[in-house]
Amino acid sequence: MHAATSTTHEAHDVHDHIHPAPEGFVRKYVFSLDHKVIGFQYFFTGLLIMLIAGSFAELVRLQLTDPKGAIMSNTAYNEMFSMHGTAMVWLVLIPLVTGALGNFVMPLQIGARDVAFPWLNMVSFWIVPIAAILLFSSMLWGGPHAGWTEYPPVSLLDGTAGALWCAAIFTVGISSTMTGLNFMTTVIMMRAPGMTWTRMPLFVWATFATALMNMMATVALSAAVGALFLQHVFKVPFFDPARGGSPVLYEHMFWFYSHPAVYIFIIPAFGVISEVISTFSRKPIFGYKMIAFSSMAIAILSFTVWAHHMFPSGLAPWLQLPFMILTYAIGIPTGIKIFSWVATLWGGRIYFSTAMLYALGFLITFTFGGITGIFLASVPVDLHAHGTTFIVAHFHYVVAGGSVMGFLAAVPYWYPKATGRLMSERLGHIGFWLFFIGLNGTFMPMHWLGLEGMPRRYATYEYFAKAFPDAQFWNQFETGFSFLMAASIGLLAFNVIWSIKHGKIAGINPWGARTLEWTIDSPPPYYNFKKIPNVFDRPYDFDQPMPYRNTDNVVAPYPEYGAVVMAQPAGAGA
Amino acid sequence: MAAAAVHVSGHDLVAVRYRDVDPVYAETRSIRLVGFMLFLISDCILFSAFIFAYIYLRTSAPTWPPMVDGHQLPWFDTSFAAMNSIVLFGSGVTMHFALENWKHLNKQKFNRWLIATIVLGIGFLLGQAHEYSVVGITWAGSTMGASFFTLTGLHGFHVFIGVCYLTILGIQANRGVYTGSKYFGLTAGTLYWHFVDVIWVALFFLFYLW
Amino acid sequence: MAHGTAPSPQQVRLKGLGPGFWSVTLVLTLISLANAWYFLFGSIDWIMPGSTNPVANVTYDIDGLFKFMAVFGGAICIYVTGYVIYFAIAFRARASDAPDAVGVPIHDAPTLEFWWTALPTLLLIVLTGLSIVVWYKIQFGVGSATGLTTEVIGHQFYFEFRYPGLKTSVFSKTEPMHLPLNVPVRVLITSSDVIHQFWVPEIRLKQAAVPGLVQNLNFTPLRSGTYDIVCSEFCGIDHSKMQGKLIIEPVAAFNKWLDAKKQAAAAGGGVVDLSGGTALAGKALFAQKCAACHQIAPFDQKLVGPGLLHITDDPAHPTLVTGQTPTSAHIAAILQNGFTGPIGTMPNAQANGLAGKDIANLVAYLTSLK
Repeated sequence: MHAATSTTHEAHDVHDHIHPAPEGFVRKYVFSLDHKVIGFQYFFTGLLIMLIAGSFAELVRLQLTDPKGAIMSNTAYNEMFSMHGTAMVWLVLIPLVTGALGNFVMPLQIGARDVAFPWLNMVSFWIVPIAAILLFSSMLWGGPHAGWTEYPPVSLLDGTAGALWCAAIFTVGISSTMTGLNFMTTVIMMRAPGMTWTRMPLFVWATFATALMNMMATVALSAAVGALFLQHVFKVPFFDPARGGSPVLYEHMFWFYSHPAVYIFIIPAFGVISEVISTFSRKPIFGYKMIAFSSMAIAILSFTVWAHHMFPSGLAPWLQLPFMILTYAIGIPTGIKIFSWVATLWGGRIYFSTAMLYALGFLITFTFGGITGIFLASVPVDLHAHGTTFIVAHFHYVVAGGSVMGFLAAVPYWYPKATGRLMSERLGHIGFWLFFIGLNGTFMPMHWLGLEGMPRRYATYEYFAKAFPDAQFWNQFETGFSFLMAASIGLLAFNVIWSIKHGKIAGINPWGARTLEWTIDSPPPYYNFKKIPNVFDRPYDFDQPMPYRNTDNVVAPYPEYGAVVMAQPAGAGA
Repeated sequence: MAAAAVHVSGHDLVAVRYRDVDPVYAETRSIRLVGFMLFLISDCILFSAFIFAYIYLRTSAPTWPPMVDGHQLPWFDTSFAAMNSIVLFGSGVTMHFALENWKHLNKQKFNRWLIATIVLGIGFLLGQAHEYSVVGITWAGSTMGASFFTLTGLHGFHVFIGVCYLTILGIQANRGVYTGSKYFGLTAGTLYWHFVDVIWVALFFLFYLW
Repeated sequence: MAHGTAPSPQQVRLKGLGPGFWSVTLVLTLISLANAWYFLFGSIDWIMPGSTNPVANVTYDIDGLFKFMAVFGGAICIYVTGYVIYFAIAFRARASDAPDAVGVPIHDAPTLEFWWTALPTLLLIVLTGLSIVVWYKIQFGVGSATGLTTEVIGHQFYFEFRYPGLKTSVFSKTEPMHLPLNVPVRVLITSSDVIHQFWVPEIRLKQAAVPGLVQNLNFTPLRSGTYDIVCSEFCGIDHSKMQGKLIIEPVAAFNKWLDAKKQAAAAGGGVVDLSGGTALAGKALFAQKCAACHQIAPFDQKLVGPGLLHITDDPAHPTLVTGQTPTSAHIAAILQNGFTGPIGTMPNAQANGLAGKDIANLVAYLTSLK
């Protein structure tokens, strides 16, 4: 049984101070200091830019339906994939998983009234639209052409657009760094009384590990794009071989950030999966400590593997070896998590809510993407696969099939808490199948096309179509399936907006989940908790009452609504 | 325990002043301190990234200083930079005393030491300006210029921000924003100023001694 | 809130590991074995072209690694996917459950966790070892002492191939690259402008062509034929048009081809007109064309070619590499005709893309450096 006493100070004066409510439209919704409102702002901004960047991807896919290039010039194509990648990485993924999810959920899960530095939080958000304006305005000068990586010397040919690209990335980097700092301080300093590190929900562990990477790695990106900007505008020769500079130096500086960046994408998704799988299996997450510590291990190891992006790119041969070994090593903590989640499903009582479907799909597609990552960790195999569509397939499986799926699980899961209404389960289910089938159809053929010889960032592929006559068929196949994914995201946007008015009223704890956010009203009041609760155990024991004292609402320890909704046939919900 | 007539160490005064008397402020101060330390760590990594670039470029160059247009660029003048460094480190010492005097409620001495810090900081910046004018290399002309001006420029920018910050702190302190028991802004300013010193130790070594 | 007073929720009652667990495990194992059998004994030509008849020695090794990973990686994907689907079905909530039914309240199983950590770790250690063996062969290969050294230079948007003793270059826009069968080759790779990548899919090796650096690839061709060379690092507008052909042929045929090329290059050019050359234009041209291989530095400071400072009056090197006196005319002759000597091969004017007043400008620049 659980101890009835908490180990740290209880009912402390500090936590119980409630600030007066914000007044006026601007204070409440525009320049809000409330982490929940800021989370919404990140959510809608990220979703909007996702629709734009996704459209660019569809243009890319349409172009590739013909080996000679179906719809645009090489220059336009190069701009499309570069803008797609750049916008998705910095203006969609990172703002959505850290800014939207981290902001909305983490303070609630630790029993805090807000983050450590609310004003900094607000500024961090508003930097994102400014960076978006800088990035999209670069398209007036032709936009970036050399991919989301913009390697010099070729990216220097982008002129003003290239300089604007650097400025946009530098700007959004400031937002990431400040958010990372903010979240780290919040998790370290502002947990509710009794919530020791090993009683934190796994999403909070994930947010903390992500914040650590965000804070430490993004400044290296600022240095890289800052130096590139200096070369664009002031001809400072960091990367100019004619004056002693080195293009490989840019790659080192860029990837030192960009590898942790991919873990910044995925670790919050890992956190979401832990919460969703546990809740909808009605049993504790298997191997809590291993999952928590493996997130930290991945966060730290992520700083040591960057040069695996550079195996065939000018790296000294002896350097390839340690990076290969460490890249293999980082697969171990990831594998442990996957196996733990599968073990969590075993012996459960599984409800197929939309969130759970995305979580189950995640386990399948992320594992596949992770395994192709192991292929690429081997230098000899990477020397063949680098720069081909095999790489594009790998990272889309882990990013779209991992990070985005995790985000798509989080949305229906926490939407009821954020808005007080449930999203449409039917639209959610349809959206899941569209996304899952679309993802596999779009990216699976890229594996073999790449290994056969189709490079990435190719506006036309006539040479390849000559050697492999079915190349055009597979590209058209991929394009067709990509529209399923697009439809899914469109459906999500519709569902989000439609459910605000028409969704079923959610109540306090529709899913019967056990983390702290499910003990307060839906949507929560601006101060989150009337009384800061005391915590005396981990939140994953579904056969026990909730491990809190002093909570705002007297919630029954068992699901009131969600289980009933899930278990009954349609039309018989409470 | 009220303020005693007997001299006690700054540390004890701090404990007396707020940790036991005002736990709300103690908690707020701790949060701000963690946040500020994390900020300084991330700033360290920013400098580290550019330092990595400098080391990479220097170790991969066939000669150092590198050859430009047939001439080898000149080495830096270590003695002038050493004098300038003493100015900067001196300002770190004066800042330490400024904060100590604040903790001991000696506002006048605090002001004097703070002004000395600001003056020395400006002196360092002027010294850097002189160094830039006599160093004989250009920002865009070579990797030596690229790394030197970018790194010392970034550092100088931090010193400039620090001077502004300390000036604002001085004005605030004299307007009564800080008290003998609540002065986190002054602590942060001191930490920032020491951070700027530590970075300069690294840069001085990397450019003038190596 | 009250705790400990509500009735215990209905728990899942399980016999063993669940209904059908072992049957499902058996099925998954059979599928994994089928996957293994396919990759080990089947033809993977559809995904790794030329796998059954390797084009180069490293092809065989890399494909072997790939197969190993497909066997074990495939097994992991099969088991994970299989168990996810099976558990989701077997342990789904049923309408007959109480609304507060919960799953088995198990938190961990140390023995299981040990094995699922230890076995993958062991697998990765084995994989690391295998990868290192293949890696070593590729990176350090057989040196050029017993084999052939050739050079590849990347340009926007074509490859330039150079051979020992051949003053002219072969350009991928008009001709294929040739390599002799069964001779270990070291390919030195660099670029004249932006980063490119030299990739022959059927050999499985690629390496970046980076301006200012010389990289190398080592392999031994084993099968004659014509293969594609593909640029696989984004290099600009026509990146997707930057390909070439590689012909691997028996040694006799290769030598015949190379000799014919040398004879065609032997006819040198006439005297170069040096009037009207300006040092300023030459300086700009130098940065663009020559700086990739030459520094303005003392002779001994080589990048690829020697330093060119004081080329006309270096007391340590009173003659040019050709052995001739360092006059403008002789410098111009090297730029016009190229030269092959102990350091390597200096390409001729055609290879370097020099035309019109370019040589005059360069000579004016080089002779102006004091």
